[in-house]
Amino acid sequence: MSALAGFGHFLPAGVLSNETLAAEFHVTPEWIVSVCGIETRRVVAAGETVCDLAERAARACLQDAGIPAEKLGAIIACTGTPHRQFPGVSAEVQKRLNAGGIPAFDLHLASISGLFGLALADRVCEQWGPTLVVAAETMTRVMATEPRVKETAILFGDGAGACLVAPGDAPLAIRDIRIASDATFSDALRLDFGSTLQMDGRTIIMHAVRKLAQAVAELLQKNSLRVDQVSLFLFHQANLRLLERLMKELKIDPSQCFINGDKNGNTSSASWLIAASEAKSAGLLRPGMKVVIAAFGAGLSWGAALIEVV
Amino acid sequence: MPLDEKIREALARVAKAPIPTDRETSLFDTGVIDSFDLVDFVADLEKEFQVKVPDNDLHPSKFESLAKIAMYLNSRGAA
Repeated sequence: MSALAGFGHFLPAGVLSNETLAAEFHVTPEWIVSVCGIETRRVVAAGETVCDLAERAARACLQDAGIPAEKLGAIIACTGTPHRQFPGVSAEVQKRLNAGGIPAFDLHLASISGLFGLALADRVCEQWGPTLVVAAETMTRVMATEPRVKETAILFGDGAGACLVAPGDAPLAIRDIRIASDATFSDALRLDFGSTLQMDGRTIIMHAVRKLAQAVAELLQKNSLRVDQVSLFLFHQANLRLLERLMKELKIDPSQCFINGDKNGNTSSASWLIAASEAKSAGLLRPGMKVVIAAFGAGLSWGAALIEVV
Repeated sequence: MPLDEKIREALARVAKAPIPTDRETSLFDTGVIDSFDLVDFVADLEKEFQVKVPDNDLHPSKFESLAKIAMYLNSRGAA
């Protein structure tokens, strides 16, 4: 049995507004909001790297958990936008935290890697001890590659989120995690070397709604819970219109769903971790609450986790 | 009721633009349905025609026009 012992996040200072994107793509800011619900996204500064974001989120997480880096048992870095082929972001985070001598590795799965990282850490921490899961993305750099496509350029932002998974049952017990992949439509969302992001939006939305709804429904059924017994849903903030469709499908009241994608955009693997960190800072994770985390991404891959605040 | 007519009725429940008379015309390019309408539309088809659209068939190309929808539903044994 393991638990979430802390969260942290970091958002770069730069802001990319709908006005700027609207001028570039000859659309209106209102059109952007109508298709994705996003108002602003954060952008890294020149010279700022994905490792810088990861380090800041990792340090914030360790501070929140009250655990020094030398007590870490493993580091899992999650990203679809590493700064180089190898060694990965995990190596740089390990070096900067001065946490040598423990396993450190990357999960290169883009949007879903934060949740897959959590599922892995749930097991890894039993053998190696407190495991840092840090997800960081510089998606706006990917989106800067020509040709820029408005349907994807409006979605993504930069940022990092982290959680510490430790043996035990408190303060946030991990009750269940379910993850899955199906590569039948893997080409529908991909990033080829030297290319910009390729996304077949219709296919992705069809599968995201179905798979996320099924994952959450199965998770709740297996744990004998109803939707109204869940206090908070922390979804991957892919696109707010998608989240609205999902809430309708699952009959989730909007008050149960934490939303920050309107401000941060889609930060890929980091998005639900940033949401969790912000929710904790806002005092939204209170004892007795049941929290569901769910994410979907390239692969195609998806999953859901049940957390209980002890 | 003929299959085409039943499809048109289901489509009318989500359509954002006039449904084309030409069976081959793209429902996406003409703005009849967008990505999110498509999710509702496929769910509606499953209910209306009592068929299950398996994950491997969940692709917009199968629902792009009236002709393609009819062909797909026929292949699933829809009445």
